Amino acid sequence: MMNKTGLIALLLLGFAGLYPLFVDSAWLAVGTTFLVFACVAFSQDIILGRAGVFHMGHAMFFGLGAYTTAILNVQFGWAILATWIPSVVIPMACAFALVAPIIHLRGDYLLVATIGFNIIFIQILENDVFGLTGGPNGLFGIDVVHVFGYDFSSQIHMYYMAFILLGITLFIMRSLDRSKFGRAMFYIHKDDIAAQSMGISLRYYKLYAFILGAGIAGAAGSMFSVQYSAVSPEAFNVTQSIMFFTIVLVGGSASLPGVLIGTFVMFVLPEVFREFETARYLVFGVAMILTMILRPRGIWPVKFGNIPSFLKKGAK
Amino acid sequence: MDIFLQQMVNGLTIGSLYALVALGYTMVYGVMRLINFAHGDLVAFSAFVGLSVYGSLFSEGTTSLLAVVSVFLLSALVVAFVGVLLERLAYRPLRTAPRLSAVVSALGAGLVIQNSVMLIWGPNMKIFPTDFFPSTLWSVGGIVITFTQVMILSLSSVLMVGLYFFINQTKIGTAIRAVAIDQDAAKLMGINVNRIVMIIFIIGSALGAVAGLFIGAYYRGITFDMGWMYGLNAFVAAIMGGIGNIPGAMLGGLLLGLFNAMITGYISTQWAETFTFVLLIVILVFRPTGILGEKVAEKV
Repeated sequence: MMNKTGLIALLLLGFAGLYPLFVDSAWLAVGTTFLVFACVAFSQDIILGRAGVFHMGHAMFFGLGAYTTAILNVQFGWAILATWIPSVVIPMACAFALVAPIIHLRGDYLLVATIGFNIIFIQILENDVFGLTGGPNGLFGIDVVHVFGYDFSSQIHMYYMAFILLGITLFIMRSLDRSKFGRAMFYIHKDDIAAQSMGISLRYYKLYAFILGAGIAGAAGSMFSVQYSAVSPEAFNVTQSIMFFTIVLVGGSASLPGVLIGTFVMFVLPEVFREFETARYLVFGVAMILTMILRPRGIWPVKFGNIPSFLKKGAK
Repeated sequence: MDIFLQQMVNGLTIGSLYALVALGYTMVYGVMRLINFAHGDLVAFSAFVGLSVYGSLFSEGTTSLLAVVSVFLLSALVVAFVGVLLERLAYRPLRTAPRLSAVVSALGAGLVIQNSVMLIWGPNMKIFPTDFFPSTLWSVGGIVITFTQVMILSLSSVLMVGLYFFINQTKIGTAIRAVAIDQDAAKLMGINVNRIVMIIFIIGSALGAVAGLFIGAYYRGITFDMGWMYGLNAFVAAIMGGIGNIPGAMLGGLLLGLFNAMITGYISTQWAETFTFVLLIVILVFRPTGILGEKVAEKV
C-alpha cells in the first residue's frame, strides 16, 4: 500500500541517491553539505520542535563534533574512524554538563543562555586554548576515512557517507515518534502542565532531547570536518545557529518533510542565487517575513491535534 | 585607583548606551512577548542616518547646538518611523501566531535593515563626524572625561528618568502597563492596543536611535553590521535585569557596562564576551527571571 507522501518520499530518495551522477563537483559539495545540514537541522528539531525548548546555540554542538574529529586527527594522529565515537559522546557530555543547570529557565532566558554558550565556544576556539584549536584560522589537513586499505577520499564518497548519516538520522527521528520519548514529547507539546501532573518529568525529557540532539549534531559535525578536511570557528558561530533555528521554523517544526524543505530553502536557495551577491540577503529577509506571515507554522507544518495513528487502538 | 575610577566612568558610559538599547528590547517584550531581533540593526541604522543628516545639512566641521539637536531629532524621527513600519509589516500580522514565528520574522526584518544599510551606505566602515561634539575634555583627579561622555551620561539619565515617570505617572503610561499585564482585559477597558503598541515602538526605536548616534560619536567607526553586537549586549542587559521590566533594563545595562569595563581594564579583552555570558548564566542560575524579574508561570 503506497500513499502519496510515501510516493514523494520514494521519489526524493531515488533523486538523492542518483544526484551525484548528474552534477559537477561544486554542486556535489553543495549536495553533501545539504545532507549534513539536514542532519543538524533534524537534531535541532528534536530540541526546538519536539521538546519545545528555545535553543539558539546548536552550531556549538555541531562544532564540538567537528573539532573533536579535527583535534584528535590532526593533533593526536587518531584515525577518522576512531574519532567517530568521541565526536558523538563529547557533544552529548557537554550538552548534559552545560544545559542541566539551566534547563528550568523560561523560554527566552534559555534562548539567550544558549546563544551565550555558543559565543563562549567560539571565543575558546579563537583564543586557541591549550594550542589545540588552531585559533581563528582553525585546523587543516584532516584525513579521510580508511577501511581495510581503501580510501574513501573522493567527493562522491563524501556524498554517500553523508547520505547514510542522514538515513540513520531519519531512522532515529522515525523511531522517536514511536518510542516512549516521542509519546512523552507529544504530550508535553499538547499540554505541559497536564503532562507534568501525569508524572512526565519535563526536566528529564528536555534534557534527553538536548543530549540526543547534541549527539546527532556532533556526528554531522564530524562528517562536515572530513568533507572539507578543515574546520574554522566561523562555520560554527551564532549566525549559523540562527540558520538552524530558522530552518526548523520556516520548514515546519516537528515535521520531517518540513525540516528538509527548510534546509533546502535556507541553505540551497542562497547557493543558487549566489550571483546576486549584494541584494541576496535583503530578499532573503523579506522572504523570511513573508513565509512566517503566510504560513506561521512553517511551509509544511505537522498536523498536531490529531491522535497519531500509531496510538489508535487497532490501527492498521 | 585611577584606573579603577577611569574604568568606572567608561563603564557607566557604555552602560548607559546598553541601557538605552535594552529599554527598546524590554518594552517591546513587555507588551508583545517578542524578542525584537531587529532592534540592534535599527540602532546601527540610526548612526548612519545621523551621518547623512549631518553631512547634508551642515558643512564639514560644524560644531553647534543646532547641529546636535537637528541630527538627534531627525534621526530619532526617521528611526521611529521605520520602527513603526516594522511593527505594521512584520509583527502585527503575527500577533496571534505561535511566538517563535514572530521571532523568525524579527530575524528576517533584522536582515532586511542590515542589508539595506549596506546597500545604501556601502559595506565599508564609515567615520562618524569628529566635530559633532566639541572635543573638550576635563581631567578630574587623574581621570579623563570627555564632552561626549558627559553628554551620554546626562542625556541618557534624563531620558531614563523621563521614561520612568512617563510609564508610571501618565495616562498613556498606565495604558502601556495595562496592555503589558493583559491585552484582552486592556481592550475591554477601552484601551486601543494597536495604538499602544505603536507608541511602544516609537519610544523604543527613538531611544535606540539616540543610542546609535552616541555610539557613532563615542566610537567614531560605524559599520553596517555593528548592530548585532550592540544589540546582543543590550539584550543580555535586558535579560539580566529581568526582561519586560523597565528599571531592570536600566540596572542591567549599567551593571553590564561596568562589568565589561572592569573586565577589559583588569583582566583581558580577549575573553570579554565569555565573561559577559558567564555572568549572565550565573545570574540566571540563581535568579531564573533576572535580577528584578518577577516569577511568572509560562507555557512555552
